[in-house]
Amino acid sequence: MLILHRHLKAAFCGIALLLCFSISSSGQANSASKSSSTPGEKKPLSVKQIDIVGLRKALTPSSKPLLVNFWATWCDPCREEFPDLVKLDAEYKGKIDFITISLDELSEINRDVPKFLTEMKAEMPAYLLKAQDDDAAIAVVSKEWFGALPLTILYDPSGKQIYYRQGKVKLDIVRAEIEKFLKPVN
Amino acid sequence: MLRKSAVVLAVLTLFAFVLSPTIGKAGDFAIGTTLENFSLPDTNGKMQSFSDLKGKNGAVVVFLSAQCPVVKAYNERLNQLAADYQSKGINFIGVNSNHTESLEWVRSHAAENYKFPVLIDKGNVFADKLGATVTPEAYYFDSKNVLLYHGAVDNDRSGRAITDTYLRTAFDSALAGKAIEKTRANAFGCSIKRVGE
Repeated sequence: MLILHRHLKAAFCGIALLLCFSISSSGQANSASKSSSTPGEKKPLSVKQIDIVGLRKALTPSSKPLLVNFWATWCDPCREEFPDLVKLDAEYKGKIDFITISLDELSEINRDVPKFLTEMKAEMPAYLLKAQDDDAAIAVVSKEWFGALPLTILYDPSGKQIYYRQGKVKLDIVRAEIEKFLKPVN
Repeated sequence: MLRKSAVVLAVLTLFAFVLSPTIGKAGDFAIGTTLENFSLPDTNGKMQSFSDLKGKNGAVVVFLSAQCPVVKAYNERLNQLAADYQSKGINFIGVNSNHTESLEWVRSHAAENYKFPVLIDKGNVFADKLGATVTPEAYYFDSKNVLLYHGAVDNDRSGRAITDTYLRTAFDSALAGKAIEKTRANAFGCSIKRVGE
């Protein structure tokens, strides 16, 4: 009787141990699945580093008008206007090309820059300009530009600037400029 | 015929002058242009004139901002330059043209950060006159108020990898009686927050 009781006790302990292990394992599995991306959540946007040569290339339109926004995470008006830029990108997707060029420090290329763009749900191709000489980089963009951020430029497919805005964009104006260009000439 | 051409040229010149934009734009105030004397209030409300503030060898007008991180990165360098060249007759004058920054904020920021006077450009009238758009942005005038250099302080806003000290080089050249090689240089910075923008 005593032996049977001991066997039953051992079996009970074994089952309890198994149950504990099972619960613990399922908990670990749950926490692991939480740490990976949840459905619908996007990976942070990758930001590509460019130099002056890359800048020239980036500012060359293909067959569509090209909208370019120069910005930085340290620039308040740049951050403030970003939701409007994301709206524009959604409205004209496929009709124009739209890129953003960050002037943040290179150390931010995998940190604050993609973090901010992801928060904004920005889908435009994103670049970070690291030039040896700011003056030369600014000269590539425009003779009228002293380097103040933000700056937004719209190019026609031939590369001609058709809209130039230092400071926050005014949605109605930039929309009108894009529409004007997209409308077929009678 | 010659007379007729002269009249046409005069009319065209007049039109160009009348139609020229009044709002500041890059290149509005070109190198070699003479600045008329001006007066602006300092952070305590006292009117200060350029002719009183400038040194015997001229002055630098630097557009500043209390909130711009790029300006913040340059504060120490600006104070060092001001200290180095005050004894050589070049004085520094800060100007704040941002309508988004309150007088109290600019006053306390200037007191904490600068060893030179900061003037308040209400309504960005002075910034418009020079065509200044970015902070920090420097304009170096000689003793006769002629603009000798305009633009960035140096070529690295972080201060860690400066290879060209534009403003210091301009001072040294002018003080030595030599021509300034680089009279214009741009750099990325914050936009001047103008009224109505």
